[in-house]
Amino acid sequence: MAIPPYTLGLLVAVAGLIIGFMAIVRERDDLHRILLTDLAEVLALVLIALVATDLAEALILPGLVVGISELMAVSEVYIAKEGLRKPPAKPAFRIEIMDSAPGILALILVAYGIVLSGFTGGVVAAVGAVFYFMCRDHAERFELIETVSGYAWAIWIGAFFIFMFLPGYWLFGVMMAGGAILLKVMAKMSLVGTMRGGSNV
Amino acid sequence: MFNLPTENIGGQELFVLEFGDIVNYFSPYTAALFAFALIFTALAIVSRPERQVDIAFGGDAYYAKEVDVDLLRFQRFMAIACGLATLGAMVSGDVFNFTLFASLVGITNIGIVAAYKNKHVLNAAFQYGIVAMLATVPLFGGAAIILASTGTLSMWELFADGVVVPIIAKAFLVIGVMGEGMAPFYVAKAEITRAQGAPFILMVHVSSLLLFLRVIEIVISM
Amino acid sequence: MKANQSIISRISAAVSRVENLTALYALFFVVVAVLGLVTLPSITYYDDQLYPKTIIPESSLNPYDRGGVPFETTPVKAQYPENSPYVGYVTTYLTPLSQWLADHTHHFGTTIVAHPGGIIDEILYNTRGLDTVVETSILFVAFGIASYLFRRDD
Repeated sequence: MAIPPYTLGLLVAVAGLIIGFMAIVRERDDLHRILLTDLAEVLALVLIALVATDLAEALILPGLVVGISELMAVSEVYIAKEGLRKPPAKPAFRIEIMDSAPGILALILVAYGIVLSGFTGGVVAAVGAVFYFMCRDHAERFELIETVSGYAWAIWIGAFFIFMFLPGYWLFGVMMAGGAILLKVMAKMSLVGTMRGGSNV
Repeated sequence: MFNLPTENIGGQELFVLEFGDIVNYFSPYTAALFAFALIFTALAIVSRPERQVDIAFGGDAYYAKEVDVDLLRFQRFMAIACGLATLGAMVSGDVFNFTLFASLVGITNIGIVAAYKNKHVLNAAFQYGIVAMLATVPLFGGAAIILASTGTLSMWELFADGVVVPIIAKAFLVIGVMGEGMAPFYVAKAEITRAQGAPFILMVHVSSLLLFLRVIEIVISM
Repeated sequence: MKANQSIISRISAAVSRVENLTALYALFFVVVAVLGLVTLPSITYYDDQLYPKTIIPESSLNPYDRGGVPFETTPVKAQYPENSPYVGYVTTYLTPLSQWLADHTHHFGTTIVAHPGGIIDEILYNTRGLDTVVETSILFVAFGIASYLFRRDD
């Protein structure tokens, strides 16, 4: 008797879940628990992916984002709980090009990111922003990023209402959502590796 | 189409709110839960935080703790967001959308508790955060199994008689909501309520209770 | 802990420690999943899925080619098509840059999710737009928590 592929996949995924959660039962260290939890979340995405339609692909995105954002919040709680706050350190190195290049390089990268738009565009633009922040004095940069992130959220809600109530203007809605995802990904990506107690924040 | 297939638990729909594939509905049951959530969200908006008082043992002296304005604003924001998420979850007509709202409730609850500086409270918030993260696994897993085995996520289709929803998917949904709302895990809550700021802490309990009532309705109707 | 405690008080002592909460929840899940394991073979895949995937290997939009030309519509198998009168327009839309890439390379389909337009955007923004709104809100809230904890002066 042949096992249908879906059932086989489901069995493997649930077996993986059982193994993963058993590991969490046995783990005592808090940091390792965070890592194991992140691993277990991948298996939820596997369960969604088993559906194998365009809809499943579209559902993976929210699933992934929820996992990542909770991971971000919980690890920040972990840092606060353990008091792992390093004293402000000097930048690792200082060379002349870091004074002259940031402006123009960041501008080019951000402009190219806007041309690309969407996810990739956000990442490219974020590289520009990270580079700029890394080289320049970045006083109050988190407030700025928070503001940008808030605007992106508002634009996104606007796009949603266009789709729901003025569907005839769908192109406008797509462009707004594309622009908002650019801002959003850019804001989030610029945080990667920078959120660990530098100066002026 | 707009005729709620089951009348046993939720009653007939009173009002339908359609967003593309996601069709939210108000039945007497969900409308009642919605009204509760609305009242408590309004309370979170207007209320002022309580001020804890420490009494020095063996004397007349007591210390009133100062309320940190930043903390207050942050907590109020989280409490309102939690209320809005609960409102969304109460009337959601789509399983995946419901799981997303449940995750939003979970993360805002982490936010309400994590704002304190007390080490015990932070530790509880962290453990709670891990459970909330773990809970997204059964939530999304349950929704995915429902989608694969019935071909739909809309509760309007799932509540119909002919559709059989696998029992494991239902169990996953319930476990997931238990994790997000911490319904049976009062251990963490006892630790959490040690923190000051009563009206906002209240939101944690209200949202988890309402979320649990709602998932029971969904699971029974399916 | 005293050795002669009853089993109930030992359990309650273990359960009352907040550090054991995660393990408790995970154990609970494992129990349910193991019990559910026996029901898995009875779950069958429903063949008539929404938004089915079609693969046209010779198309330059390969995994995401759903037919149609920009500013025209194409059939999309949504749950409630009557709720989205303009369904299909986003699916066919390509930005000028994406159109150029699609005309000149064979691999544009692998990056279509990164550009505005296409079936994934249709689902994410249009037919299931509320999901994306909630998802963005979760990200926003999580970011708010992280940056609040980060910026707070210790």
